[in-house]
Amino acid sequence: MTSEAVTGAAAVRVRGLWKRFGQQVAVAGIDLDLPAGKFIGLVGPNGAGKTTTLSMVTGLLRPDQGAVEVVGHDVWRDPVEVKARIGVLPEGLRLFERLSGRELLGYSGRLRGLPGAEVDKRATQLLDVLDLAGAQHKLVVDYSTGMRKKIGLAAALLHNPEVLFLDEPFEGVDPVSAQTIRGVLERYTASGATVVFSSHVMELVESLCDWVAVMAAGRIRAHGPLEEVRGTAPSLQQAFLELVGAQGRDAGSDLDWLGGGAR
Amino acid sequence: MTGLTSTVVRLKLSLLRNGLRQSGGRRAAYVASAVATLLFAALQLVGLIALREHEHAASLVVLLVAVLGLGWAVMPLFFPGGDETLDPTRLVMLPLRPRPLVRALLLASLVGIGPLFTVLMLVGSVIAVGHGAFAYGVAVVGVVLALLVCVALARAVAAANIRLLTSRKGRDLAVLSGLVIAIGAQVVNFGAQRLGSAGLGQLDPAAEVLAWVPPASAVGAVDAASEGAYGVAVARLVVSAGALALLVALWARTLTRLMTAPDGSTLQAAEPTVRDRRSSAGLRRLLPGGRTGTVMERSLRYVWRDPKTKAAWVTSLAIGLIVPVFNALQGTGSIYFACFAAGMLGIQMYNQFGQDTSAFWMVAMTISSRRDAYVELRARALALLAITLPYATLVTVLTTALLGDWAKLPEALGLSFALLGAMLATGAWTSARFPYSIPQEGYKNVAPGQVGLAWIAIFGGMVAAALLCAPVIALTIWLNVSAGGESWTWLLLPSGTAYGAAITWLGLRLAAPRTAERLPEILTAVSKG
Repeated sequence: MTSEAVTGAAAVRVRGLWKRFGQQVAVAGIDLDLPAGKFIGLVGPNGAGKTTTLSMVTGLLRPDQGAVEVVGHDVWRDPVEVKARIGVLPEGLRLFERLSGRELLGYSGRLRGLPGAEVDKRATQLLDVLDLAGAQHKLVVDYSTGMRKKIGLAAALLHNPEVLFLDEPFEGVDPVSAQTIRGVLERYTASGATVVFSSHVMELVESLCDWVAVMAAGRIRAHGPLEEVRGTAPSLQQAFLELVGAQGRDAGSDLDWLGGGAR
Repeated sequence: MTGLTSTVVRLKLSLLRNGLRQSGGRRAAYVASAVATLLFAALQLVGLIALREHEHAASLVVLLVAVLGLGWAVMPLFFPGGDETLDPTRLVMLPLRPRPLVRALLLASLVGIGPLFTVLMLVGSVIAVGHGAFAYGVAVVGVVLALLVCVALARAVAAANIRLLTSRKGRDLAVLSGLVIAIGAQVVNFGAQRLGSAGLGQLDPAAEVLAWVPPASAVGAVDAASEGAYGVAVARLVVSAGALALLVALWARTLTRLMTAPDGSTLQAAEPTVRDRRSSAGLRRLLPGGRTGTVMERSLRYVWRDPKTKAAWVTSLAIGLIVPVFNALQGTGSIYFACFAAGMLGIQMYNQFGQDTSAFWMVAMTISSRRDAYVELRARALALLAITLPYATLVTVLTTALLGDWAKLPEALGLSFALLGAMLATGAWTSARFPYSIPQEGYKNVAPGQVGLAWIAIFGGMVAAALLCAPVIALTIWLNVSAGGESWTWLLLPSGTAYGAAITWLGLRLAAPRTAERLPEILTAVSKG
């Protein structure tokens, strides 16, 4: 356990979290303390249980067992305190796509009880910063993947949450949009807020995060500051492969016909 | 059969087989629809054969085949996902020449329930009109030609519109198919009743023309051959064959262009569409503030912008108008049919969260108390009332005017409003208790595996709504049968309205805690589409 968790400055505290879907165990008992004010990466291969974990932490999926606290409030017993303090960008869930980008932000902000004028002001700034001003009156259904992620991020940031949960925010996003998202997130954490994001791209996590949790097969394999988790390995990718035991799976001689020579 | 043709036909069979292998339900549905189609085809075959000696048989048969051809032409527009071998963009990477490809695809499209049904119908048609050896010969050629024209027509239309069909606007259009079918059925029903009273002879002039229009011309040729007009028969066959050649050529050309030109996905439509922002600001000004106004605004926008929601609304609006008004026009109406408008529109309250699809998470993230859930549901009911109240009133007044029974207007309105209230109450409750996913693609309104849930929600809810209306219905009956009661029927307007409002309030009150407690479960249920 890291020093932050002991001192109690945890943004998110997870205890004994379980989730099964039929026979399959998606999350097999997670205990985790995510320190506040950090850029936190939740890494793991596809199917490791990252989305399931984030859904349970944000209150979108009911766990079979376990407790989740966000900034000191229980997610299931105290939703009023928690929902006002978090922003979420889920993966695989839609937005209200038949609204334009601006309308979506207006809807989202007003639904959270912010005054209309304030919502419009913040929406204008977010649309500008995220490079969506030109497409603000286009329906979200006609947006590209990168634009959708950006408008989703804007909706998640609009009420200035303390903790931001992003599920695969860079998946399918072009490099320009990715850089924009990155800039906004770095500015946001610099102000003391916490970002928790999941990804299966190690290089990305390595370059963005100062704290990581490695997930595989429904369990946390390692967690802590980036340097600690990386240890002596040359890169997070290498450290990760060692952790999940996927080393030395070479293509070998099975594909010796591939490339060159006879077709 | 060449190699390519047999490959494509086998591909089609494999796709069919694998599609059925995916789930037992799908297999059962396919077998059931196949059996139903064959039964229907067999029945109409018998029916057409029985028509053999009827004097208007030829007209009827020609018209039938013309409608069949029309069906083939519009089918791909509404059900574009129906045939995977039909989508040439999937074959674009293969080194294929257009001519063999067209031949192979044409023959592959002869596999399936649709073509089988068509063959049975065509065979029935030519038996109904064919008399004499020459006619039989023409019939054999005619059936083959008519079938090929139908299939080629469907393919040519699909290929010509594939850009549209694979774009977002096209998919939106496809969703409206249910609507066309629902309203078309009403119009056909109306037409058939007219025809029933006026006689089949009315068909003759139309059939005269259609006998020259492929694919009906192939059947027209058989009729001409039976009457000894050999020249006309041959001419009509030639017209059919010409049409087939033209359609195939047209299809081959579109196909070639499709497979060699870049598609829409590589040509980015970059220009931003500027919408009129004042109109949306205007809508907001009319609505109350806070969560109520925000939710109402979104709901009302979705009625117009979301194709599924729009289709459901237009269907409800159309049927709610057609049933009472058409019945009143035909003299078979009753003022109580006007309640149809309220009942049909009340259905829109059902599965509120399913209509959100998985975007419901945005709503779930902002509901943290029963109060939030209550305001959310109430706002959705209010958005619905904003359209339904004036519409139901209008339909009731219109029906009354057609029937000239103004004395019954208050009680019909009172009943309508009570029913509307009961539908809103049961709709809100079932939305919380039995949510299900509405697939956004295609014409289905329930996700696979949730059909039972949807039935419980809709039919259970409607029965409950009817039961909830029982006091008002009982009062109506009592006032109408008791001596001197008729002078008091005006009371039904205020009492029905008050009852409807009270029961809506109660339904929302009961639904709110269920919604607030079941947010993750609702989200899971509505995210399957």
